[in-house]
Amino acid sequence: MKRLYQALSALSLAALVLAACAPAATPTPQVIRETQIVEVPMEVVQTQVVEVEKPAEQTVVRLSGWASSPSETALLESLLYKFSVENPGITVKYEPITGDYKQALLTAIASGTEPDIFYMDIFWWQELAKNEVLLPLDDLMASTGTQKADFIPALIDAFTFDGKVYGIPKDFNSLGLFYNKALFAAAGLAEPTDDWTWDDLKAAAAALTDASDPNKPVYGLGVPADPGRFPIFAFQNGGGIMTDDYSDTVLDGDAAVGGGEFYAAFKADGSGALPSDVGEGWQGTVFGKGQFAMVYEGGWLIPYLRDQFPSTQYGVVLPPAGPGGEGNLIFTVAWGVSANTKNAEAAWKVVDFLTNAASQQQVLESGFALPSRVALKDSDYLKNNPAASAIFRGSLEGARPFFWGAVGSDVNDQMAKALERVYKEGQSVRDAFGEGATQIREAIQSQ
Amino acid sequence: MSTLARPGSAARSKRFTEAVTGYLFLSPWLFIFFTFIVFSLGWAVYLSFTRYNLLRPPEWWGLEGYQRVLTDDLFLEKALPNTFKYVLVVVPLQTIVSLVLAFAMDQQLRFRRVFRTIFYLPSVTSSVVISLIFIWLFAAQGVVNQIIGISYDWLGEVGTAFYIIMGMNIFTTSGTLMLIFLAGLQDIAPAIYEAASIDGASKLQQFLFVTIPMLRPVIFFVVTVGVIGCFQVFDQLYVMTRGGPLDSTTTVTYLIYKWAFQDTTIKMGQASALAIILTLIILAVTLLQRRVIEGSGAAAD
Repeated sequence: MKRLYQALSALSLAALVLAACAPAATPTPQVIRETQIVEVPMEVVQTQVVEVEKPAEQTVVRLSGWASSPSETALLESLLYKFSVENPGITVKYEPITGDYKQALLTAIASGTEPDIFYMDIFWWQELAKNEVLLPLDDLMASTGTQKADFIPALIDAFTFDGKVYGIPKDFNSLGLFYNKALFAAAGLAEPTDDWTWDDLKAAAAALTDASDPNKPVYGLGVPADPGRFPIFAFQNGGGIMTDDYSDTVLDGDAAVGGGEFYAAFKADGSGALPSDVGEGWQGTVFGKGQFAMVYEGGWLIPYLRDQFPSTQYGVVLPPAGPGGEGNLIFTVAWGVSANTKNAEAAWKVVDFLTNAASQQQVLESGFALPSRVALKDSDYLKNNPAASAIFRGSLEGARPFFWGAVGSDVNDQMAKALERVYKEGQSVRDAFGEGATQIREAIQSQ
Repeated sequence: MSTLARPGSAARSKRFTEAVTGYLFLSPWLFIFFTFIVFSLGWAVYLSFTRYNLLRPPEWWGLEGYQRVLTDDLFLEKALPNTFKYVLVVVPLQTIVSLVLAFAMDQQLRFRRVFRTIFYLPSVTSSVVISLIFIWLFAAQGVVNQIIGISYDWLGEVGTAFYIIMGMNIFTTSGTLMLIFLAGLQDIAPAIYEAASIDGASKLQQFLFVTIPMLRPVIFFVVTVGVIGCFQVFDQLYVMTRGGPLDSTTTVTYLIYKWAFQDTTIKMGQASALAIILTLIILAVTLLQRRVIEGSGAAAD
């Protein structure tokens, strides 16, 4: 750090000397000096004042995303800093949006003040493409030789609409089965493997449950009424949530109902619980505290456990396969470019930089999410980090994007409510899912 | 303006100048009023007749949006009954609680200034902060459960979540309403109480037959403000339950928010239609209660 600081101060000194040497005859200087505050991510974030020389003509590109954690923001800022060093003609203005991101973005689009580049979640981005507020990226990709094949097919396909690419996936996550090593050892059970099936999961959950201490009961599996977790059981049972063209739901089909019955049975027989049963909002916290022996979560749990529960020893394996094989969900976010942008090429340069192999390597090593580039599949980092590797491999087998079409929010609501009715009102899974499916169909019809 | 000396013209010119000056002084407020109130309201009325997803320009839709609202299950079965239930429970209770508090604070008690401050404190605290405190109090492992020694998820159960929010609202607003009542109480001339006590009226009789009739205009104000506030309840629901569990705390305003901002496909037009319908409901209820409260007690004024 100190050396970097020295180098930078030497650089700024050189800049001062150069500026001083400029011939006095030039009336307007060709260089303006800007003082930038650049946050360089480290174990402890330090703020440095760095003086950088910039050409007078600047292309300004505005970029927005949500800020889910300070370290993730620091990662993005450090990538943008690198970009600014390599591309002195382009100034990237990072405008993070706190609060409700989608609401803020849509209102900005409605008033024509949206940023040039923004995050798009897999869950709702198609609305943007359908309404033609996004710039198709195919020509820009060709201009820099970026290939579709460079990215994991499931991801780049998820951001393709009507044959055109509208977003470059910046990273992704899938679900893995996180298990607490100490609780498995205490129960005398062998640790899970990638080859586990539903039967193994069921048996282990029952054996791990220990309600002897009423102040700190231990449950085998976390089974929240969460539409971001339950669907994998429908997939693993050979079914789905929506039909392939998203024109109808199959939530009331036998496969989804069977998956739901298997899922809800953990709560019914006491070997599974909701986070609210133990007074928490998120099962990641309960897992960290050692009260859920197993949870289905994504790679985001890894840095959380490292920061909040460093003493919890855990492992991650692929979600156990059901009668219908493997099943998983893919959560992903892409960079999209506004159709109104005045600097499409500069905006593309930024997107291309943020998703190139070097940046993706940095994303991978940060541990929040997994890189979208195929080339990083065999990286040393994944070899040395079995937990991250399990999440990465989860995207390859039976995984489908977390996307339910134009009524996605209704589908999520109805899945959560159907499970809540099962949990809280004792309704049968078939009735609850049937009711949910009826509501989803009504929502589709009133589109 | 002509400066020719004609009878009356000087006076007219003066009136005109005065009007200009007046409007000039008003202009900052008028500007804000027209931009943020009149224009926004007009725009919402216009949007209620359109289909609008924020991404494409609004498209004329006639009464389709209203029709969809009036046939929507979530609106008819949950949001509308929940909203009325909320008004019917919260308004009477907060009015009674604040009236009793104000009456107590009007007596010559020791430390009454301290109590006034304490009772008023919740009203000056942000509703989001109070909501968070209530979440902690009523969480499954929260303070309330620790004290009574049970494990119950107050905000996660259909049977209790809405009542907790109602209780919290009564707790928060009673302070402000108490202040309004207190001002009203101090306006009542002591001579009336004196006359009543000479006639042999007890303290309770004085309260029922002197205080309450004399407070009628204040009661009307408090109830009106309370009704309007309750019909528009949103922030507590948004922070504490987001309309759940199982829509048991979904109110009309929360539904407007859900349609306008939460759904994958934004329904701004339909949400505006519901907002207009809510305005009409509030207007009707307010007119009705004016008849009830003011009509029956015209003699008292």
